Amino acid sequence: MRDVIKLFLIVTIFSAVSGWALATVRNLTGERIEIQQLTYVKGPALKEILAGSSNDPITDRFKVPDGKKQIDVFTGVFEGKKNTVAFEVSGKGYGGNIGIMVAFNIEKDELAGIGVTTHSETPGLGARAKTEPSFRAQFKGVSINKPVKVRPEGGDIDALSGATVTSKGVCAGVNDSIEIYKRLKIEILKNIKG
Amino acid sequence: MGDYFLLAISCIFVNNILLAQYLGNCPFLGVSKKMETATGMATAVIFVLVLAGAITWALSHYILKPFDLEYLQTLSFILVIASLVSFVELFLKKSIPALYSGLGIFLPLITTNCAVMGVCLINIKEEYNFLETLVSSFTYPAGFGLALVLYAGLRERILLARVPKPLQDTAIGLVGAGMMSLAFMAFKGMA
Amino acid sequence: MAKSFVQEFTKGLWTEIPPFRLVLGLCPTLALTKSLENGVGMGVAFTFVLILSNILISMLRNVIPKQVRLSCYIIVIATFVTIVELLMQAYAFPLYQKLGIFIPLIVVNCIVLGRAEAFAAKNGVIPSIADALGMGIGYTLALGTLAAFREIFGAGTLTFPFINYSIHNVLGSSYKPFTFLVEAPGAFVCLGLMLCVMNMLGKK
Repeated sequence: MRDVIKLFLIVTIFSAVSGWALATVRNLTGERIEIQQLTYVKGPALKEILAGSSNDPITDRFKVPDGKKQIDVFTGVFEGKKNTVAFEVSGKGYGGNIGIMVAFNIEKDELAGIGVTTHSETPGLGARAKTEPSFRAQFKGVSINKPVKVRPEGGDIDALSGATVTSKGVCAGVNDSIEIYKRLKIEILKNIKG
Repeated sequence: MGDYFLLAISCIFVNNILLAQYLGNCPFLGVSKKMETATGMATAVIFVLVLAGAITWALSHYILKPFDLEYLQTLSFILVIASLVSFVELFLKKSIPALYSGLGIFLPLITTNCAVMGVCLINIKEEYNFLETLVSSFTYPAGFGLALVLYAGLRERILLARVPKPLQDTAIGLVGAGMMSLAFMAFKGMA
Repeated sequence: MAKSFVQEFTKGLWTEIPPFRLVLGLCPTLALTKSLENGVGMGVAFTFVLILSNILISMLRNVIPKQVRLSCYIIVIATFVTIVELLMQAYAFPLYQKLGIFIPLIVVNCIVLGRAEAFAAKNGVIPSIADALGMGIGYTLALGTLAAFREIFGAGTLTFPFINYSIHNVLGSSYKPFTFLVEAPGAFVCLGLMLCVMNMLGKK
């Protein structure tokens, strides 16, 4: 019995030391990791949809609580005014989740553009959501008053040929983002003014 | 329901864990020489992975995420898998000896089978909900089993063929696996 | 047991080079050899983990009780893997994204656990370092060679790790890339053929 306790103690000590070591490394690298993640994962999509903004959207970000979650909201400055915000949502694609960065024009209450951050769609089919700008361009300037749909379902968006699941997933993600935008608009405005 | 069906098809065929995601290759080459061992390994992996998938999902969502401990994911997952495997081994030995005699020798090998850890990590990375996790934890190893059994059949045939000396054993096995992977790639067109 | 440092080091480079001679750790070998950058990046991360875990395990080899040695090894290895994971996220994020779940999966890479059990647990610190260094460099070389071959012929490009530099059209602009090689089936076939070449070259 004493042996078992000794063995158990040794394993516990090992785990404790390892946990402590990891926590230390984590604390040292935490801040850098956050910045790197934003720059590499969300940066390219942000740059595309907020092209021409006079600020760096990654520096001008703030957090807005939505239920239990915290949403990172990025701001774009156009013509000297903070009039565009962007945040990320996800839609279901064929190969898994698609991360979609959606930008809204606050003054006109319309979509300012969408960009794809992460996805695992089939190259040459669904992956064109990320590589073909013409598909994403259809979302620019769309009003937030009615849900976005692909053409066969009675909407105005031309689906990517051979990738209906992906196209529908993107639309569903955009619709989610519209709901979130409507829900959080007051909070967002407060943050921008303040 | 349709979503789950789609997920299952994608896990078994389109994203087959062995042939498209390259996970679990060591046991794939190791136990595929005979049909019997191949089916034994496949069953053992399915059994352990369904349990491991459910437990690691709960661990991640109820402990790691709420307490902001996601950096302990690798460490905690491997410990869960290792202890789960020992536990299953003990349990089977005591209560279902018949099953143990079939699966016993494969169980210790599962700890270092990267397919098990891999699927647990994929479940978290793809942000599956609990049901989706169960579906993927069952269908990924099912796809593994399918590939393993088909491939064991191939390899039993290869034994009868005259293979050039340098290509014998693992080398020809890998080339054969490549051909199977080519066949499975056809499923990618089902978008 | 009285082999010299050099002997322990060089066995990992040729006579026991993983994954060709020791057919272990195949998953990253297949998955991460689409480009030279991925292959070498994985090799370096792997070497780092292997060296540190070998050092620590050989230092603690008299402290760790036999019955729980595997759990202790796994804890040690998992700790170093997580450290590599965090460091890569902070300093080499694009590479981290490309290697994806294969970084945490170093934990279950049979080579690391195999070296801990077969070598570090029985030898002193210095030979264990030599062993890990040899195995690590051997693995990196193997991955690098396979990756360079697949990338040059399969995509027609060559990307160098860490310096952010790549050559397009290695084989001239008229070369039509043989895409089969960078897809999954190509990985299996290439590795099979590499093994065949190694077998032909013989043990010595």
